[in-house]
Amino acid sequence: MPTDPGATEDRIRVWDAPTRLFHWSIVALVFLSWLSADQGYMTVHLWSGLTLLALLLFRLGWGLMGSTTARFSDFLHPPRKVIAYLKSGGGLLHAGHNPASGLMVIALLAVLLAQVLTGLFGNDGLKFSGPLALLVSDDVSDQLTRIHGIIFNIILALVWLHVVAVGFYHFVKGDNLVAPMVSGKKRRTRVPEGANIIFAHPVLAVGLLLASAAVVAWILF
Amino acid sequence: MGGLGAFFLNSAMAEPNAAKNAASAAALPIQHDPSAPLSPLAPPFTPKVRRVIYLHMGGSPSQLELFDHKPELTKFNGRDCPEVFLKGKRFAFITGVPKLLGTMYPFHQAGKSGTWISDRLPHLEKMIDDMCVINSMRTDQFNHAPAQLLVQTGDPRLGHASLGSWVTYGLGSENQNLPGFIVMISSSSTTANAGKPLWGSGFLPSVYQGVQCRSAGEPVLYLDNPKGVSRVERRQVLDAVDEINRQTYAELGNPETVARIAQYEMSFRMQLEASDAMDITREPAHVLARYGAEPGKTSFANNCLVARRLAERGVRFIQLYHWGWDSHGTPVDQGLNVGLVDCCHATDQPTAALLTDLKERGLLEDTLIVWGGEFGRTPMQENRGGQEMKYIGRDHHPEAFSIWLAGGGIKSGITHGATDDLGYDVVRDPVEVRDLHATTLYLLGFDYRTFSYSYQGLDQKLTGVKPARVVSEILA
Amino acid sequence: MASEPHASGYLSAPLYLLCVALVTGVAIATAMALRPAFAHKMLEMTGLEAMPQAVPNSFYAARVAPLFAQHCISCHGETRQKAELWLDSYAFVLRGGRHGAVIHPRDPKTSELMTRITLPAGDDKAMPPEGKTPLSPDDVTVIRLWIAAGASPTMPAAAIKGVPQLVAEVTFPDLDPAGTRRRRAPLANVMQQLSARYPGVAAYESRNSADLELNAALRGATFTDTDLKAFLPLHDHIVHMDLSGTAITDASAQALAQMTALQTLRLTNTKTGDATISALAALKSLKFLTVTGTHATGPALAPLSKRGVTIHGDGDAD
Repeated sequence: MPTDPGATEDRIRVWDAPTRLFHWSIVALVFLSWLSADQGYMTVHLWSGLTLLALLLFRLGWGLMGSTTARFSDFLHPPRKVIAYLKSGGGLLHAGHNPASGLMVIALLAVLLAQVLTGLFGNDGLKFSGPLALLVSDDVSDQLTRIHGIIFNIILALVWLHVVAVGFYHFVKGDNLVAPMVSGKKRRTRVPEGANIIFAHPVLAVGLLLASAAVVAWILF
Repeated sequence: MGGLGAFFLNSAMAEPNAAKNAASAAALPIQHDPSAPLSPLAPPFTPKVRRVIYLHMGGSPSQLELFDHKPELTKFNGRDCPEVFLKGKRFAFITGVPKLLGTMYPFHQAGKSGTWISDRLPHLEKMIDDMCVINSMRTDQFNHAPAQLLVQTGDPRLGHASLGSWVTYGLGSENQNLPGFIVMISSSSTTANAGKPLWGSGFLPSVYQGVQCRSAGEPVLYLDNPKGVSRVERRQVLDAVDEINRQTYAELGNPETVARIAQYEMSFRMQLEASDAMDITREPAHVLARYGAEPGKTSFANNCLVARRLAERGVRFIQLYHWGWDSHGTPVDQGLNVGLVDCCHATDQPTAALLTDLKERGLLEDTLIVWGGEFGRTPMQENRGGQEMKYIGRDHHPEAFSIWLAGGGIKSGITHGATDDLGYDVVRDPVEVRDLHATTLYLLGFDYRTFSYSYQGLDQKLTGVKPARVVSEILA
Repeated sequence: MASEPHASGYLSAPLYLLCVALVTGVAIATAMALRPAFAHKMLEMTGLEAMPQAVPNSFYAARVAPLFAQHCISCHGETRQKAELWLDSYAFVLRGGRHGAVIHPRDPKTSELMTRITLPAGDDKAMPPEGKTPLSPDDVTVIRLWIAAGASPTMPAAAIKGVPQLVAEVTFPDLDPAGTRRRRAPLANVMQQLSARYPGVAAYESRNSADLELNAALRGATFTDTDLKAFLPLHDHIVHMDLSGTAITDASAQALAQMTALQTLRLTNTKTGDATISALAALKSLKFLTVTGTHATGPALAPLSKRGVTIHGDGDAD
């Protein structure tokens, strides 16, 4: 697949649409899940969580077969590389995620996935329980509910760290990361020369999303 | 789309099970050999009693005339019933504004325990120190049949197993020549509103149902051989029937077939033993006099004496029904000043004699006696159709009624629970019907929460799905 | 690999981190202001808040805490904290939840907890909610009295007057199939032989015990002294014995004297007499004895009766 022909003089496209849509949907859904649980709208919480699950599954698949910058192979690096990157003050340019942010992405994905999965088995002590709660004993369901509560705090902490890190790049290093995640385009100066980004076909994204939804539906029934 | 709907219902309404996984129920399942479905089984826990004699006073005796002493109510006798007691309530027959009715009979304190009792039960009150009176029973059924079903089967609808069937299912029968669950009926006037399902086996295998016996004439209908058929010939017929049934079982494997074989065999053995057990002429004259029993008649007195004989012979669940306590005041035999008197008269002496007899033989300490109706009676006088009635009566009252217990594992000489000054609502220590069932099962050595039978996808329990408790306050 | 020098951002790193700290601090402060439970948690974590403990034999520990444990902590404890309310320790009870304190010491009427537990059963806000085991009126009284007396974690149990009696709920022992099998193992052979010869006479009392009951009443006159002797190998396990109507005589006195575990004995209508009664003196566990229709006399029974054994059929009032 050729690189984006719509590239302008000083900006090139680095993030594909599915990845960007995914990112902001997650933001909205995590917030919605939090709000609905807090206020007791458990049905909304349930649907929000299930949508999150589908999106996370999608992202896992997309990370294997999506655009270059979306693939795990692009931004997952061994720990020494992460440390080296941090030590170097972030000098090295990357088209997509740098090693440190790659680690952040994985951490967030993992924690969100854990949250959704524990939520499937949880219960609220009264009339509400997750779709898979009946598959386990009450004790296990209660324990997973507890873990669900603990992981929420971890999510809060990671989100804080994520926002602080993005803010650091923006305010201290002058590198706006939010705009590219909305428009998909980074300044050429921020992207290494000769970065070859291949964009996957949108139809593949749709297909993957449908497959993820199907998996979720299967879990439910 | 149906699946989606199912999922929604499933998750939105699924209730996490409050009780922990019953590892105990799995550890000790009830297993009967289909060819001997009534062979004795030990209960899971140490029992306090080994048999139950349930005296059901059908129609429901008026607690305000017998056990629940309400002097305040008497002060308000004849006054209009306050609005607060009528608002939002559904009565069986009362309409408009009835008048409050104080007790028709004087109360006094009896025995060493000083338990309050009216003057209607002079024989029974001599045993008051062996009784535990509960004045705070509650039910939610205000008509006879559903209320009787609730008391006897744990559910106001048909189809559930009776208390005696549960007990027989759980414990089998000590005496293999007699049914494990025997029912006898006597009556001043009317008969069972809910009919045979009161001692039916519901969803339990039919072999555990109550067998209705009679204290006059043939003890069990159709038990004896037809005229001209000897016992030997009967045996030959049974052998042939057994053979055919065994072939059917080998072909189809339905355990009910094997149970049927066992039942025929039991009936054959019963022919000898049942007539002997139920024959009260074998009792000495002074015992007959103590009960007031007259051989050849159907009476509560006869039934009580038979109950004692059956208890001695290893029958675990004996139920006596006496109808006629429905003191509405409509016909004369249901007036508080007439019919009630007759019922008391018919049941007082025999009940006392039964208690004394069991005690003398050392059987009372491992027998549970339960006496009671299916609901109480209103503190207001019944005014059917808003008219004043010829005879004095009370309407049905589910909010409070009285029963008494005696026997093993029960504290004797106490009164448990209390109603308000007018006898309308329970204000202290309410006991639901399912609590009584839980307590009965506990005394017999069962945990009411895990004693269950799988039917229609549920682990059916006698105590049902609402939370119940064993009434620990009355346990010895 | 083109590497650019650090582009200039708006802030220096230390300044940025300071801003982050400030914003985070403001956020936490806001959260603490909006959510008292969170505020308490923060204060607790930083050691700024005292965490009073309940004394072990205080009224709270003896009467109130068990009620919370039984009826409340499945939703207000470790697993879940509905409305951010914990009820599993005194400090948390006092602290309250999302909407503030649920207990006002000395003032039950304004205490939200009291309001909730005294709502009619059908009310949406009633606690415990429908489906959970409700608090009894006595339970509610206990809590009310405790709040009225100051909701103290140290006040002793006896200091509060007018408290309803503590009703011990019935508990069932743990089922121990393996242990029961072990305890029954030494008897297994004898039980098998005796059950074959005398079906239905000796049976285990329950499926959770190795105690036996011996019921020969159904055998009637066919059960003799010799038959009873056959059960001697089980002598220290038999707790109930019913020999009513059997052919037992005083010749069984010796055998009966060896049944040291016996708690209940029925000799109704047997030809036993005082010799048997004296032999029973050796049975220290005996609680109930029936001698109706035997030749036992008052004087022989007197020592047993004095010891506290309930005796039926001696002609005296029980």
